[in-house]
Amino acid sequence: MDFVLKIFNYIQDLGPSVMMPIIICIFGLALGAKFGKSLRAGLTVGVGFIGLNLVIAALTGNLGPAVSQMVDRFGFSLSIIDVGWPAAAAISFASTVGLIIIPVGLLVNIVMLLTNTTQTVDVDIWDYWHFAFTGALVAILTDSIPLGVLAAVVNMIIIMVFGDVTAPLVQESLDMPGISLPHGFSTAYAPIAWVFNKIIDLIPGLNKIDFNIEKAQQRFGVFGEPILIGTILGLIIGALAGYAFKDILLLGVTMGAVLVLIPKMAALLMEGLLPISDAATEMIKKRFKNRGQVYIGLDSAVGIGHPITLTVALILVPIAVFLAVILPGNKVLPFGDLATIPWMFVLITPIVRGNGFRALLVGVVVLAVGLLIATNLAPLFTQAAIDAKFAMPTGASMVSSIVDGANPLTWGIVRMNGLGIIGTVIVTAGAVALAVWNRARILKEAALLRVEAIVE
Amino acid sequence: MKRILLACGSGIVTSTIARSKLEKYLNEKGYAGKYKIEQCRVSEVPQKSSQYDFCVATSMKPQGVSCPYIRGTAFLTGIGVEETMEEVYKLMDS
Repeated sequence: MDFVLKIFNYIQDLGPSVMMPIIICIFGLALGAKFGKSLRAGLTVGVGFIGLNLVIAALTGNLGPAVSQMVDRFGFSLSIIDVGWPAAAAISFASTVGLIIIPVGLLVNIVMLLTNTTQTVDVDIWDYWHFAFTGALVAILTDSIPLGVLAAVVNMIIIMVFGDVTAPLVQESLDMPGISLPHGFSTAYAPIAWVFNKIIDLIPGLNKIDFNIEKAQQRFGVFGEPILIGTILGLIIGALAGYAFKDILLLGVTMGAVLVLIPKMAALLMEGLLPISDAATEMIKKRFKNRGQVYIGLDSAVGIGHPITLTVALILVPIAVFLAVILPGNKVLPFGDLATIPWMFVLITPIVRGNGFRALLVGVVVLAVGLLIATNLAPLFTQAAIDAKFAMPTGASMVSSIVDGANPLTWGIVRMNGLGIIGTVIVTAGAVALAVWNRARILKEAALLRVEAIVE
Repeated sequence: MKRILLACGSGIVTSTIARSKLEKYLNEKGYAGKYKIEQCRVSEVPQKSSQYDFCVATSMKPQGVSCPYIRGTAFLTGIGVEETMEEVYKLMDS
């Protein structure tokens, strides 16, 4: 056992750009892919990590000094840089919990299907990173890998149940029958949006308001694109930092480049994981073909196209930056995830029934609270990034993200685990209770389906 | 040479999956070298669509798309791939 641990530690000490190719290659072989294909997939992931590291270094190396000068001149307290979801995903997959998240996630899904506590076959293997992210932070906070794995499992169970419950909405308003979206980020906002919607329904006057904002996306959509968000923010921060004109321009173009390049590096990670995710999908689908009402769980990216989602997210880009500046207690400078705000709304939009006013209201609240959460989780996030051997900005500044650094569910699970064994027991019991409730709901639905079949 | 626009939410994750499947099926049917695929974000589709022969997207259709639009969700779920590919072949031959 000691020997196995030593090998494990040695491999992990190599850093993700060497470790991930080895792990992915082994996974590929284990799932029956050919050696050449597995090796290529593994190396592609390694390339993704090296690329991400280069771009993040360009981000923190250029933006870091500018932000700290800006902070000195104006007294803003924005010392934490939002590095965005690709970095968060890479950090998660490189963590110890992330190393085993794919087999663990598959196992959780299979057990939940067998016990009728979910009706979703989750083929979105990539997004297991959200669960690994929670697990990685818990592992750092509690200094315990098993507690980290448990937290990832708890997170997945909760999200799978939310995914099932919101599936009829996905079918109705996003026009995707037979699909659920058990997505660690998007789906975490479903209960919040539901509560908000109920409250607004009860307030006379407020419950009549709707904004017709779909047209904004067509006219101003270009400003929601990463290349322009990056460049404009770079220019503004350069100017506020008191840079010389040519340095302002340079910072602008560099930040535009960073926001364009970071997701391209994530695409390499994705491409490398594809053979694994394909094999896992085949295995799980074959096994659960002959069941009743089963949903296929997909990445919530498939629901991004809703006009309200795109428009509200676009309006929230400047609001997010403004909130970051004025919100007391916030230290996060939104940057890397400004183009990722639509993911927040994939389920919020259908839950508020496409009401632009309500979506915007929920958005402002969850973003404001999210910034405080991202500030609160930044030390853990930064530690996870250091553990994954990412180049960190010099000086005292930290990193965080909106996806999943500002995720209220992630925060809840992490901080509950921070309370000690009582907290761990409470969140675990909560997840189990949700699963049991879901089982009762699924069995009732199945009984109804049977009755309908007999009547027909 | 057909120019295909492949879109998803980020232009990264699900479009990479759909692209690998689409290329596999097209090449099996002998279309290799007869098409060019570009990935993008679904929010860019309305602006870009006029320069492409057709668009395959894993997301719902945004407003203002000016080329034929095929829903590619089947590439992710594995259900209904044949029907989706029928539409693609038709557009490839048109």
